[in-house]
Amino acid sequence: MRRARADEYGEFAEARAGHLYRSACLMTAGDTHLAEDLVQETLGRLYVRWGHVSRVENPAAYAQTVLTRVFLAHRRRRGNGERATDVFPDLPGAPDGDAPLRLTLLDALARLPAKDRAVIVLRYWEDRSVEQTADVLNVSSAAVRTRCSRALGRLRGLLGEELSEYAGR
Amino acid sequence: MPESRAQEPFEDRLSAALRDTGDRFDADRAALAAGGLARGHRTRLRRRAGVLGGAAGIALIGVGGALLLPGGGDSAGARQTPAAALTSSTVPSPSAAYSGDDLLRALKGLLPEGAVGQEEAQGPGPGPGLPPYARLVFDDGKGAAAVGVGLGRVEPGSREVRELTTCPDRTFVAYDACTTRRLADGSLLMVFQGYEYPDRRVDTKWWSAELVTARGQHVTVNEWNSPAEKDAPITRDRPPLSPAELEKIATADVWRRVVDAIPGEPEAGEEAGASATPSRMPEPSGEGIAEAFLSLMPEGLDVVTKGAQETGYAYLVVDDGKGRSLVQVNVQPDMRDSRDELYGDAERRPDGTLVATSQGPGEKGGAGVVMWTVDTMRTDGRRVVISAFNTGAQHQEATRQAPALTMEQLEEMALSPRWTRVR
Repeated sequence: MRRARADEYGEFAEARAGHLYRSACLMTAGDTHLAEDLVQETLGRLYVRWGHVSRVENPAAYAQTVLTRVFLAHRRRRGNGERATDVFPDLPGAPDGDAPLRLTLLDALARLPAKDRAVIVLRYWEDRSVEQTADVLNVSSAAVRTRCSRALGRLRGLLGEELSEYAGR
Repeated sequence: MPESRAQEPFEDRLSAALRDTGDRFDADRAALAAGGLARGHRTRLRRRAGVLGGAAGIALIGVGGALLLPGGGDSAGARQTPAAALTSSTVPSPSAAYSGDDLLRALKGLLPEGAVGQEEAQGPGPGPGLPPYARLVFDDGKGAAAVGVGLGRVEPGSREVRELTTCPDRTFVAYDACTTRRLADGSLLMVFQGYEYPDRRVDTKWWSAELVTARGQHVTVNEWNSPAEKDAPITRDRPPLSPAELEKIATADVWRRVVDAIPGEPEAGEEAGASATPSRMPEPSGEGIAEAFLSLMPEGLDVVTKGAQETGYAYLVVDDGKGRSLVQVNVQPDMRDSRDELYGDAERRPDGTLVATSQGPGEKGGAGVVMWTVDTMRTDGRRVVISAFNTGAQHQEATRQAPALTMEQLEEMALSPRWTRVR
C-alpha cells in the first residue's frame, strides 16, 4: 500500500475502531474479547481491500457491513457460539449505577439467535433501513421484517418493564 | 422529559437503551487499529504468495514432506488438462469444477523441466470463500524455489485493476525491473522483479506476474529465489522462471476457467466467506436438539438444568456427584462450504464422517476452566459439535478437575445416528 493510502487507512481505522467495537459488543451481547477479535478481523479485511473501500460512497457503513458478516461467519463456523445467558452471563464489569439495565439488555440480546441480534443492532443501533439491513445480510427485505418483528417481540417480553424503568429515569 | 419516554414506542426505547449500553464499551482504538493493520499485512503477504489457505499456509512451506501428494494412480509427469483430471481428484466436491490437485497439475504442466515438491493447493470451493491457489517448490537443478499461483476476480476497469497492474513508485518500493503492458486480448499484465521486503533487508528476491483480463479475471504468479518466502536462506541468485516464463504461466487459459468456476461473490468481496446467505436447509429446532441430547446422555448423571436456543443449540448442566459440568451441542444442517477450514486436520472415519477433537482452556475467562470438544461433520454436511466443561458456567471458576464426560463419551454422543433424525 502506498504511503498516502496507508495514512488514509490508518486514520480511518482509528476513527472507526471505537464505533465498530461498540457495535461488536452489542452483537456479541457483551463478549468483549470476541468483540475485539471481530473488530481487528474487520479492519484487517478493510486494509486488504482499501483501494476499493476508500472509494465506496460510505466507507463507515461498508465497515459495519464487513463487521456484521465477520460476526455471522464466526458464529456459524464456531458453532458453539450461541449462549443461553442463564448459564453464560459473560458480561463485562459494570462500572456504575446503570448496571442493572445494562445487564438486562445484554442478557436479553444474548437470548436471541446471532442473526436476530445482528438485525436488531443494524436497525436500532445503526439506524439502518429494512432494505439496507437486507443488503448487509444478503437476505430479502421480507426476511428482515420477519426476523425483526420476532426479535422485537422477544425483547419486549424480556425487557418491557426494564425499558420502561429506563425510560422513566 | 424522561416521563414521556415511557410513552414512546418500544423501538425508540430500545434504540435509546442500545445507545446507552453501547456507549459504555470503551475501546483502545489505537490498539484495535494496530491489530487490524497487522492482520491486513498478514493477509496481503499470504495473498501475494499465492497462499490463501489460511494461517498455516506460510508455515507449511518448509515442512512439505508432511504434505500428501495428490493422485496416487496418476502417471507421473503426464500433462492432463484440469478438466480431464477431474475424475482423479482426491477430494471430489460436487459443485467445484476444479480441485486443488487440478490446479497443481495445471501449474506443473506449465513449468519448465525440473523437480517439484511441497505441493499445496485449494480449488474454488462450493460456496464463496477463500480464493483458489496452488503452490509448490520447484527446482530446475540450480536451487529450490517457491512458486505459487493465486486466482481471483476484480471489478473490470476499477482502480483496483490499475493498482494491481501499475508498477510501484520507486520512492516506496525498491525493485530491479518492472513492465506493464496491454495484451492483444485486452488483458493488462505487469511483470515485477523486486525483493521480498521493499527495503531489501534480506536478499530474498520476489518476482511476480499480475494479469487482469478485460473480464476481471485476476491471475498472480509468484516466485522466489528461496524455497520459502520471508527470511529463509536463499538457494540461488535469481528466481528460476524468467519474466517470459512468468508471463507464459500467467496467461495460460486454464486459470481463467478456474476463476470462472469461483462462485459469485457479493459486492463486499473479501468478506464473502462471511456470506450471510442462509443455508438451504433450516437449522433443527433447539427443542428437538435438547430432546436428542438428553436421550444420548450416559447413565448416572443428574441433569441440573437444561436449555436451548430457538434453533441449532442446546445445553445441559449435569452432575455426576462430583460437581456441575456444562455440556453443550450445536447442530448445523450443512457446513460443507467450511469443511476445509473446520476440518483441515480432522480424522476421516470409514463412513466419511470427519471428526476433530480438542481439549483446551475455556474461552470465557473462568479460572481453571477447560473445554473438551468433539466436532463432527457427516458426508451430507450435517455438523454436530459437543463441548463439555469442568464447571456449570463457563465464565465461573472450575468446580471440578475434568468435565463429567470423557472424550470417548462425547464422541459417541456426537456420532450417534440420532442426530440425523433431529429436525
